[in-house]
This record gives sequence, structure tokens and C-alpha cells, in this order.
Amino acid sequence: MSTRHAIDPSAPLVIEAQDLKTHFQGRSGILSALVGVKPPSARALDGVDLRIREREIVGLVGESGCGKSTLGMTLVRMYQPTDGQILYRGEDITKVEGRRLKAYRHSAQIIFQDPYSSLNPRLTIGQVIEEPLIIHGIGTAAERREKVIRALELVRIPAEGNIDRYPSDLSGGQRQRVAIARALVLEPKFIVADEPVSMLDVSIQASVLELLDELSRELGLAVLYISHDIATVGYICNHVAVMYLGRIVEEGRSEDVLMRPLHPYTQRLMDAIPRMTPGETPERIELRGDVPSPLAVPPGCRFSSRCPYATALCEAVEPALSDQAEAHRVRCHIYDDRAARAHPDLPAPRAGKITEVAETGALVAAAEDARWQS
Amino acid sequence: MKQASPHTPAAIRGRSAWSAAWDSWRQVMQDSFAVVGVSILLLFVIIALTAPYLAPFDPFKAMMTETGRLARLRPPSGEHLLGTTAFGNDVLSQFLHGFRVALLVGLVAAIAVGFISTLFGVLSGYFGGWVDDVLMRITDVALSIPTLPFSIVAVALLGPSIENIILVITVLFWRNGARIIRSAVLTERERVYVKWARAAGASHFHIIMRHILPNIIRVVFLWVTMSVAFAVLTEASLSFLGLGDPTVISWGQMLNTAFSSGNLRTAWWWVVPPSLALVMLVSALYLIGRAYEEQTNPRLRKR
Amino acid sequence: MVAVASPRFGQRPASPATLAELEKLTERLARKPAAHLLVDGLSIGYSTLRGRFHAVEDVSFEVPAGTNLGLVGESGCGKSTVVKTLMGLQPEATQVSGRALLDGQNILGLDETALRDVRWKRMSLITQSAMNSLDPVYCIGDQISEAILAHEPVSKATAWARAEQMFALVGLPAGRLYEFPHMFSGGMRQRAVIAMALALNAGLLLADEPTTALDPIMQSQIMTRIRGIHAHLRCSMILVTHDIAVVAETCENIVVMYAGKVAESGPTAEVLESPLHPYTMGLKNAFPRLPERGAPRQPLISIPGVVPNLLLPPAGCRFASRCPFATEVCHRVTPPVVQVGAQRAACHHTDRAAEFRVAAARPETWRTMRGAV
Ligand SMILES: Nc1ncnc2c1ncn2[C@@H]1O[C@H](COP(=O)(O)OP(=O)(O)OP(=O)(O)O)[C@@H](O)[C@H]1O
Ligand SMILES: Nc1ncnc2c1ncn2[C@@H]1O[C@H](COP(=O)(O)OP(=O)(O)O)[C@@H](O)[C@H]1O
Ligand code: SF4
Ligand code: SF4
Ligand SMILES: [Mg+2]
Ligand SMILES: [Mg+2]
Repeated sequence: MSTRHAIDPSAPLVIEAQDLKTHFQGRSGILSALVGVKPPSARALDGVDLRIREREIVGLVGESGCGKSTLGMTLVRMYQPTDGQILYRGEDITKVEGRRLKAYRHSAQIIFQDPYSSLNPRLTIGQVIEEPLIIHGIGTAAERREKVIRALELVRIPAEGNIDRYPSDLSGGQRQRVAIARALVLEPKFIVADEPVSMLDVSIQASVLELLDELSRELGLAVLYISHDIATVGYICNHVAVMYLGRIVEEGRSEDVLMRPLHPYTQRLMDAIPRMTPGETPERIELRGDVPSPLAVPPGCRFSSRCPYATALCEAVEPALSDQAEAHRVRCHIYDDRAARAHPDLPAPRAGKITEVAETGALVAAAEDARWQS
Repeated sequence: MKQASPHTPAAIRGRSAWSAAWDSWRQVMQDSFAVVGVSILLLFVIIALTAPYLAPFDPFKAMMTETGRLARLRPPSGEHLLGTTAFGNDVLSQFLHGFRVALLVGLVAAIAVGFISTLFGVLSGYFGGWVDDVLMRITDVALSIPTLPFSIVAVALLGPSIENIILVITVLFWRNGARIIRSAVLTERERVYVKWARAAGASHFHIIMRHILPNIIRVVFLWVTMSVAFAVLTEASLSFLGLGDPTVISWGQMLNTAFSSGNLRTAWWWVVPPSLALVMLVSALYLIGRAYEEQTNPRLRKR
Repeated sequence: MVAVASPRFGQRPASPATLAELEKLTERLARKPAAHLLVDGLSIGYSTLRGRFHAVEDVSFEVPAGTNLGLVGESGCGKSTVVKTLMGLQPEATQVSGRALLDGQNILGLDETALRDVRWKRMSLITQSAMNSLDPVYCIGDQISEAILAHEPVSKATAWARAEQMFALVGLPAGRLYEFPHMFSGGMRQRAVIAMALALNAGLLLADEPTTALDPIMQSQIMTRIRGIHAHLRCSMILVTHDIAVVAETCENIVVMYAGKVAESGPTAEVLESPLHPYTMGLKNAFPRLPERGAPRQPLISIPGVVPNLLLPPAGCRFASRCPFATEVCHRVTPPVVQVGAQRAACHHTDRAAEFRVAAARPETWRTMRGAV
């Protein structure tokens, strides 16, 4: 069932990120290397704090390119963080290598978006799921087969008749379940699911989501669920974090964040979701411009170049995450007057006070409107 | 559908890299042109293996007429099915021995080329970064070597033996192969299952053997097939230029002797068989290669 | 980044002659009426190595002039096939039967010259991968004005001015017409393609998943644009998507396809409010909705099983292998199309739809079928 239980706040922390940063250094050409010019680095992940407890599913949402996958990949140590710390059950694994890294890889797994290319077409389903056991040198061939069959049962694919089939014989939903089985066979404690259902049909999405939900409860898994699809996040997540340009701008219990979003960006993100029932459609204020490049992060609030409420204060001072009610935290001057008090000379933003109409889109469209009507 | 009965082995079964190769081979054999190519190749191999028994004479033996004179430039006759050379050698016997040299050179060079280019291609494509930089700079340097002048100088310096010719061919042809295989590896490396295997803690060796090699084996095959053709042609050109191994008979050498004795235009029985065999061998390999290419490159695949 | 020189470097104000011609062009295009499309008994079979693939069978629907039609269904159910065939873009050796009347003229089976007249001018297409279909070596403005010049007898300057107009309409600054596709983000490229598709004000717009690859903000911006433009230009539209919420927001009518056939069709609000076909019910329940505060969450329901193999279509109802309400007759007899009010559904048991709707909202109904692989 998909009614998400509340998380016991005393449940042990599985994974914790502290001020995590991952910057990608552009490759420099020989010439610029000789001259000593460093190409700018992309600040894909730029100071993120996150905690996931046992049995908890944390949702991560945000626009394309905001750094969601980078965070996921960094947490499983596929990218080496530039700065900050990753703690796995209290142990710092930010820089471990060799045996200890392999041990961590045993406990942390990742599921990728594309079920069609995430399984090697030359291996049978059995081989695919057995592979992590071989990598970690677990068990004899017979014991491994046992484990593979159990993993297939967990994802509700009958082992009999399927274990020797090839991925090309399976549907997208089944392939994604095989990918989940492959992640589960090592009995991990933490799973990053990066858009696990976005390439699946609506009619089968539900079964994969439900599976993730059940597994996290039955096996005590901590899950980071990354998705564009906010409605599915609402279904299976206890806690939601919203990212913008490499930083978390709002986080909290999923009902709070999704139903009563505070940050202007989250509000816009929620408004953007198409509604099934006519009349529920909210008024949509178009954001101006595109997401700034992580190569040139704007000063002050990162959202200020597109925020309809932005003022001089926003452009000068970056807001900190401030605590609102019940574990709900927001990074915006509207909800936090500390910066406004420190800079009384700069006008502070206020909720609902639109400071500027989007310069390209809406204005031009409005002008066009007038032309067409006349 | 197979059932997991108690009699099935407890271990998980599946295909190995070899079976991957076998699969793509079977697919290639669905192409009728490839079947023609393979048949020709097979015929050539059989001739090469049995050449000493098939050849009626010692290829180096000078034939004498009853009158005790050298049987020079005899056109085909019942005794000498393909006539004789200007030095009285039996053309058919020389021609048949030429199969051995052609296939020996082709095979050994191709295996060496295949091995080196796979090694370079996989290492530089898979590891990328500085490994790639270093290996590809070496390849670039190799690529800048001009083919014919290099072979002439190298064989002239090292001495005209079949081993040296094979060495030169290997040095010349691994470089393009390395580039082609590298680009195939670059595509494979980005597959989601490769990323996943890294995240699961797999060693590089494991990933290369289990995920990369089986998926690029067709490209390697394609390149090896083409290398056989290049090698045979290069050996023939070197021999034609007089840089062949004097202790063996190759088709190139036959053409060279025909040319240097001034009979290239007149003694057709001497010139046509080796030329025809060369063309047939290269075309056969080309047909097989084309079928592989079609498979490897989905854009060429027929609907 | 260096902007590579394009034929017209820098922006010049348009000359009075150009402006006059543009005005005439705009007026001419604005007078084009919205198109009416009637698709009747459309069947499409691809020939494959393993035999005929019945991708679409006996599909009928109508797009009244000036309205939007949403075409939804699982992937592989034939949505794109319908759209491609309407544009005459199906592969050769594809068997097409039935009629598609665009303002009374059958557009199926037209030859290339006749099709050229229909494409772009009377009917234009935005595909799912359209943003990758721009030519990387020409600047965007050249590509749009080329498309205009190919169909309208105007000067190059006028075509360019029209391109500027269209850019404004999709919310892109005119200056960016001089840029090359690689300088645009995915969302901007998609908007440029929309501008191109709209430049000749075709009476019917076919949009095949125009926003599927994009994130929700970009998706809503583009859909808002399309809706706004649609209102301006008074064209008709077929919108292919798997997101029924987008259809709910955009389209008056909906066609739900399953395995190459129409399962249900009718006015969007009615079909989504009280579906007649069990597949529509399943699709609606499987669609995740935003959580409501305080209210218990609706369970998400997945439809078990897989789409049948269309090389060997099953007898009877194509949904029978996955339908929790299937009876013996469903597996044997092809269901008739039943009309209830404005809705039409192909199901033997439309009379029990009300009862099915209640049952379909319970996860157990579907779960009994689970494990059917
Ligand atoms: N290997 C890399 N090298 C350089 N830049 C990168 C690299 N990977 C990601 N980036 C950049 O970092 C930013 C964040 O990328 P990321 O993949 O995390 O986005 P995302 O939020 O997952 O987006 P999407 O929703 O489209 O998957 C992007 O601007 C991207 O271009
Ligand atoms: N050129 C083709 N040849 C053979 N089969 C095709 C071809 N194009 C599409 N199909 C098949 O037709 C069915 C319908 O495809 P499509 O219309 O693209 O589906 P949708 O757009 O609804 O996802 C699919 O099963 C697809 O595999
Ligand atoms: S701090 Fe200012 S710019 Fe940033 S989100 Fe809040 S109001 Fe907008
Ligand atoms: S005809 Fe039968 S199987 Fe088909 S949808 Fe209706 S009830 Fe289900
Ligand atoms: Mg991503
Ligand atoms: Mg499609």
C-alpha cells in the first residue's frame, strides 16, 4: 500500500552528507595549460546537507541539470566529491579507497533511469543478478543461485522460466525490476534510485514504485529517490528535498513541501505540474530566462536571476537555510529576516510582491497579444 | 521455456565471450555474400594445407626439355598445366605454394595486428585520461609513418625474410585498428551496465572481460579480417618490389620475376593465376568484412 | 564562444517594403481557417521480416475545426504510427487502408507532390525528437526562413521577419535567430522547432509528445505556449502524449488507444470522469496524482501483464489478457463499439461500467491478475 508511514526520528541514520560539493573541472587544452589558465569549473553540486534514515525514502526533485544525478553519483562514490563529507552509518567514507571502498560499494547501490540499456544484452537474467555476488566473491555457484532466486522473488518475477532468459525478452517494467533485484542481491542498506520509472509506461510505473516502497519497509532500506515527476515523489517519499543549481532550496516532510511550498522556486515547480481535474489548474507565472549555467553561478540567491520576487538584497546576499515549522527548511529571504536586518539599506523581498515581469517571454507574448487582437 | 528442474546444474548458465563471437559469426553467415567469401577462403585454406601434395613438381626445380635445354616459357600443356616460367620452373607448383605463404603471412600478421590493436584500443578507450593521451599520441606517431617507404626501408634494413615482412605489416596495420577499436570501446564504456558495474565495485579487469570485450568482439573480427587482406596485399607488393623472402615462393614474387624478366605482358599463364588468386582472396575477405561491418554498424543493416 | 558568421550579420531594421510584404503574408496566413479532420477506419500494417505487424487497426476519430484532440496510450500502441501516416511519413511497403479526410480531401495515398502541398501549409508536425532534428550547420533563422520560402512566394527578408515574429511567439528573443542549434538548450531548441512548425499557420498541428523529454517547468512553459498560440492562430491540434493530465488541461476530446485500436474516445472531461472502458479506468488509476493534505493517499494501481504481440493479434478483445473483468466472450469475440452519450468504447460490458469503476478503484481487483508475465 502506498500510504507512507511516518519515520521514527530516532531510527539510525544510514547516510549523511555534510556540505557536499562536486565540481567538474573542464579539461584544459594544451595551450591554456601552458599559459596557466584554468578553465572554469562547473559547480554541479555546491554545498548540500542531506540525511537519510533506515526505512526512509527521500525524494529529490528539481529542474534538469540542477545536480540531482550528481548528488546521487557522489553519494555512491562514483564521483569524487570536491569538498564536504559523506558519512555511512557514522563512518566517514568520503575518501576511502581500496578494500574499504569496495566494502562501501557492497552496502550502497544505484539504479539508473534507462531500463533498456542498464542490463548487458549478452547476459541472462540470472547472470545479471549474479554478477555483484561474483564481484564481491560471495558464495559458491549453488549458493549464488539461491540468492539470485530469492532476489527475483523479492521483485516478484518468478525465477522459474525467467532466470535463463535474456533482457531482450523482457518488458521495460520487468527489466527495471531485474535492475532492482541486481541492486538488492548484495543486501545493501542504501539505494540511490535515479529516475527509476521515468522511462516506463504509466501503467507499469506504479508496480515499480510500490515495490521500492515495500522493500524499503521490509528490508529497512534507505532510499534516495530522484525524479522529475513530483506526483510519484508524493507517493513514496517521506521527505522531499528541492534542488536548484547545486543547492537544496527547500526540504521537509513531503506533504508540507508539496502541498504548502514556501520557496518561490518550489511554488513554481508545483504549479507547473499538469492537473487532471479541470479548474484545479493554478495560474502559472512564467519564469524568465533559463537556468543559469553551473559554470557561472550568480551571486546572492541563486534563484534571483529568475525569481519574480527578487530584490537588491537577493542579488547581493545568499540566503541560508532557515527552519520553518516541523523540519521544514527553506533558503529564501522572504522567510528569514536575518540578512535583511544585517543589510537594512537593501530592499528585502516580500511574499507575493512581484518585482519584475519576465523580460523575454511574458512581455513579448503580451505585446504580441495586443498586436493580434488589434 | 526451460524449467529449473532438480537435474539442471545448480550454477547459473549463460553465454561466454566465445559464444558471443559464435553468435555474431552465425549472423554473418546469414549474408549470402559472406557465405561466398567464406567458401573461397575455405578453399584457399585447403589448397594451402595440401599444396605440397598437390604440386606436381618442386617449385624451385628447373625443368629441362628432352634435348636437355631449360624449358623456358612453355605455354600450358598436358605436362605443365600452367606452363613454365622464364627460368623453367613449373608455374602450377609455384602458384600452389604461393597459397601457403599468402595465408601464413595473412594469418600471423592479422593475429598480431588484432592483438596489438585490441590491447591499445581497449586500454586507451576504457581508461581514457592520460592513458588515452599517451597511447593515442603513440598511435598518432605510428599513423604518420608513410606505408610504402617505411616497408621498403625496414625490409631493406632488417633483411628480406618472411618474419621481417610480418613484423613490418604488424607495425603498419595495428595503428588504424587501435583507433577503430578505441572508438567502439568509448561507446561501450558509456553503457549504463558498465557504469553500474563500477558502482557495484567491479574491478577494471572484470568490466573489460565481462562487459567490454564481448560487445566489441565483432569490431575486432572485422578489423582482423581486413588486416588479413592488407597483409596479403602488402606482402605481395613488397615481393613485387623485390623485397620478398627469396627462400619461399609467393604470388608477389612470381609477379616480380615475371616483371623483371620482361614477360609480364606475354606470359599470361605465369601472370594471371597469382593475380587472380590475390584478387579472389582479397575480395573474399572483403565480402566477409562487409558482412561484419553491416552487423556492427546498424545504419547499414538491411530492413 | 564565437558566433560563426551567418549570411546576415547583425540585426538591421526591416525595410518598409519588407514590412508591407510581411503584413500581407501575416494577413494571408491569418485568414487560413482551422482544419477539420475525419479519420475513418484507418488500419496500418508494417511489413517486417517476421510478417505483417498490425500496428494500427480500424481507428476512427474526428477533430472538429478549432479543437484539440489528445491521443493517449501505452508506448507501442500506435500513436506515432497514426500521426506519421497522416503526414505521409510511413515507411515504404506499409499497408494503409481507410480514409483520413482533411477538410473533405482524403490525404492518405497522396503522391509526393500533392503531399508537399499539404505538409507544412495545411498540416505540420512537431515530433518527440524534433529538437534534435535541426541542422547543426545552419543558424536557426535560416532554417525557419527556408521552410517559409519553400511554400510562400515572399522575399528572403520577409521570411526572416516572419521567423522573428514566430520567435517572439514562442518566447525567444529575435537576436537568437542568428545562433546555431548547439548554442540552444534542449527546451529552447524544442521551442524553435515549434516556431518553425507554426510559421505557415497550418490548419492542423500534429504534436507527437512535444515535451516528453523535458523537465516539468520546461514542459509547462512549452505547453502554455502551444495553448496560447493555438488560441491565437485558431488551428486544430492532435496532441500525442502519455500524460493524461496534459490532455485534461489542453484537449477538448480524447482518444485512448490500446494495442493498435481505439479503446475509448469522447469529450476529455467525461472520459476521465466516468470511463467506460476498463483500460481507461486502469490508466486513470495508475496515473499518480499530487497528494492532498490530510486526505489519505489514493493507492497507485498498476495494470498487470504486457501488451499483446501484434504480429499475432489475439482473437476477441485485445485487452482481455490484462482485464480483470474479462469474461469468456471477451476472449472470443471482438467487442463492438458502443456509444453512450458522447463517449464511445470498444467493450462487451459497457453496461456494467459503473460497477467496474468502483471495482477498478480497488487495488485488489488488479492484483488478482498479478504474476501474469
Ligand atoms: N561529468 C561531468 N562533467 C562536467 N559537467 C557535468 C558532468 N556531469 C554533470 N555535469 C553538469 O553538472 C550539472 C548537474 O548535472 P546532473 O546530471 O546532476 O543534473 P540532473 O539534476 O540529474 O539533471 P536531469 O534531471 O536532466 O537528469 C549540469 O549542468 C551538468 O551539465
Ligand atoms: N517502421 C516500423 N516497422 C515495424 N514496426 C514498427 C515501425 N515503426 C513502429 N513500429 C511498431 O509499431 C508499434 C506502434 O509504434 P508507435 O506508433 O511508434 O507507438 P507509440 O507512438 O504509441 O508509442 C510498435 O510496436 C512499434 O514497434
Ligand atoms: S531569496 Fe529572493 S531571489 Fe531568492 S528565492 Fe527568495 S525572494 Fe527569490
Ligand atoms: S471487452 Fe471484456 S476484456 Fe475487453 S475491456 Fe471489455 S470487459 Fe475487458
Ligand atoms: Mg539526472
Ligand atoms: Mg511514439
